[in-house]
Amino acid sequence: MELYAKKITFSKKPISIPPEYRPSYMIGLIVLILKICCQSSKSSLLKLHLINWALKSNENKISLKKFVLSNYTESSKTWGIEPNLNRALNYSVHEEICSITGGKYQLEEKGEIFYQKITENTEYLNEEIEFLTFLGKRKITDSRIDSIYKKWKNQNA
Amino acid sequence: MLKINNIKIDVNTNNGLFGAFHTFKTGLNIVRGNNTSGKSSLFQAIIYALGFEELIGGKFEKTMQSVLKDQVEYPKHIFHSTLQSFVLLEIENANGDIITLRRFVQSPNRKSQLIDVYFGSLLTNDSIESRPMFIHDNGGASDENYGFHLYLEEFLNWKLPKVLTNNGDLRKIYIQQIASSFIIEQKSGWSDFFATMPIYGLNNKEARIVEFILDMDVYGNKMKKQELNISKRILDNDWLNLNRRFERFTEKGGGNLIGLSQSPMIINNLDEINILLSKDENDHSISNYLDIIIEELDTLNQSQTVSVKDKIGDNESLIVKNEEQLNQISFDVEMLSSELTFDKQKLSNFNYQLENLSEDLRKNKGALKVKKMGAEIDLMVSENNCPSCNQEINDSLLPLSVKQVPMRLEDNISFLSAQIRMLQVNIESLAAKIISKDNNLIKLRSSQNNLRSQIRELKKELTSDERLPSIVDIEYRLNLKKRIEFYSKYLEDFAELKEELSSLSNKWKRILGEQEKLKKDTFSPNDISKLKLLSENFKSLLSSFNYSSKTINDIAISDENYLPLAKKPNDDLFYNIRFDSSASDFVRSIWAYTCSLYKTSIAKNGNHPNLLMFDEPKQQDMSINDFTNFLKELATYKSAQTLLFASFENSDETFKKATTDIEFHLNYIDEKLIKPIK
Repeated sequence: MELYAKKITFSKKPISIPPEYRPSYMIGLIVLILKICCQSSKSSLLKLHLINWALKSNENKISLKKFVLSNYTESSKTWGIEPNLNRALNYSVHEEICSITGGKYQLEEKGEIFYQKITENTEYLNEEIEFLTFLGKRKITDSRIDSIYKKWKNQNA
Repeated sequence: MLKINNIKIDVNTNNGLFGAFHTFKTGLNIVRGNNTSGKSSLFQAIIYALGFEELIGGKFEKTMQSVLKDQVEYPKHIFHSTLQSFVLLEIENANGDIITLRRFVQSPNRKSQLIDVYFGSLLTNDSIESRPMFIHDNGGASDENYGFHLYLEEFLNWKLPKVLTNNGDLRKIYIQQIASSFIIEQKSGWSDFFATMPIYGLNNKEARIVEFILDMDVYGNKMKKQELNISKRILDNDWLNLNRRFERFTEKGGGNLIGLSQSPMIINNLDEINILLSKDENDHSISNYLDIIIEELDTLNQSQTVSVKDKIGDNESLIVKNEEQLNQISFDVEMLSSELTFDKQKLSNFNYQLENLSEDLRKNKGALKVKKMGAEIDLMVSENNCPSCNQEINDSLLPLSVKQVPMRLEDNISFLSAQIRMLQVNIESLAAKIISKDNNLIKLRSSQNNLRSQIRELKKELTSDERLPSIVDIEYRLNLKKRIEFYSKYLEDFAELKEELSSLSNKWKRILGEQEKLKKDTFSPNDISKLKLLSENFKSLLSSFNYSSKTINDIAISDENYLPLAKKPNDDLFYNIRFDSSASDFVRSIWAYTCSLYKTSIAKNGNHPNLLMFDEPKQQDMSINDFTNFLKELATYKSAQTLLFASFENSDETFKKATTDIEFHLNYIDEKLIKPIK
């Protein structure tokens, strides 16, 4: 019997990746965030990143919720900036789901249609939508984000 | 039976009312019309009114010819657009009850999912009650109030059987599926047996139809088999529950259960099931154990009460022995509780993982949904293409420099589901392990306490007055008495449990017996004679239609799906008759098969509706002689109704030649089916 293999070949198998790295999931989230959480469906990049970060895990959600419910006094964690969101935003812009106007992301008509389609049946995205609806359009505003940002700056100065 | 009395077609056009009206009688009806006269439109209109249009290959009005939905051509080359059109069909059942069906083909306000059912003949009486009923929609075949096909089933006095679908659940055969056995449509009906049957994920569908048409017992037997399987499953469950009760019961008595299996079995000797109780390192059955302790108590009672002094030596050695035991047990407790802590930690880790995976799975499913929605509004990303450069992207947001191929979203979902299932199995087994370890620990702790209190008693006794009677001894006797009481009751309860077990075992025996019996006789004697007659009818019809591709002796009817088979010369195997027949011979075999189903059903009281419909049966340059033989055969079916649509090669001569000496009722479509109505 042969004891040693003469040749070993390796073949690359597809790997499982987290849903946050699927373009479709992220574009869906972008549409939901812009429509549910942003006044006139328009948002700064930083805000998109904040909400996207919150949606990533239950801990993050709870932490942001606490911050909001404590009337913004409880110190919030630093949120992450993720390149996958930026890439998904690029796709969305080229799909004409949103556009960049005045440095902000604005939901376009195609995005509105997409939003209608997604919310026809929300079976698997219920948790996201529930959280976004809790945030609503007024709880996290751009000026709020600016003030948090300034706070960090001062702390680290 | 299902008899078609008459059909009326109304077409409103921008140039007035057009239409057609035809009556049909019992026996052979020939609808003669030249090609493109609208013969097939009439055929299809009948099918449409019955809601069987899936036989033509679709649903709703789109299956109809343009004369009913778009434009009427009359006379040639002059077109009138259709504004509204409907079909009125009067049908009669075996009791002579008449209903009229109205179904719209073209109407702006009336959906083609609706069929109006008039409870009477609309021709003789135009003020009869009607009710709209649904068709094809969910519930069309099952909704008690408004499902037309359910109503039709009752009207025909049919009890459509439930059959096993490919998904494994039971569902009724659809009436359209039965219809494919007696309605042969022109375009694809001649390409195979039951060629136009809609599928609906049914197992071995042809066989189910034939079993229904011939009302075979095999069908009932199959149902019984399914019922048996269900009661088997219930029994399995009951058995498992009882098993658990036995286990709990055993635990209560602190013994060991023997002889009981996890799954049902026939128990011939109930004594094999027992609980072993240990005494002095020997195992005893409950009754033996009882005998032993009763005897022990008796001997103790007979002997004199022992005083402390007599027992000093014994007590001292007992203390030593007990302390040794206590040390051992304490050590075990230590070991076990640290194992338990470790297991519990592991379990909480698993649960955390499970939570994460489930969350991932949910998000992935959401992603898949969004992707599908995206494809609906033509997102490039949903087709895995980049929206700006149109190159392929691999459905990920990973930077391009990461040279990994991600799974497809669907694969990712099944991958996660598989992982979750694996994790769930792990969690389950770990949880069971933890429970059993917990129980062990409790047991160990209680015996630890027992030993301690024993040691305490012994020590107390050693320091008490030597003349007093020994407390330990008295306590032991009391204890023994209590135990005797407990185990007497225990034995009674055990007998009751065994009684339940024996009834389950008997049930199991009966189920197995019935199953065995069913295995033997799938075909009842009745069925065998029905199949024999089917095969005889088929063969004799084949030869009278001049089937010549094979010798008739080499032809048989399959036991599996009841379709005709043919044998190759010098070969024992049978093949589908289609492979070995010429095109015209295959058409002959469809004639013969369709007719023999009817003949067999009539002779054996089957469920055939006694209606046969053929559209252009003279296919493939069939010789006129054979066609005449076919017509002759049909003309003998006096109690049935046959509607035969044919063009007779557009010639009077062929028509005369084919129909000499044949009794029939003629509907001649002169020029065009749909004509102006004055």
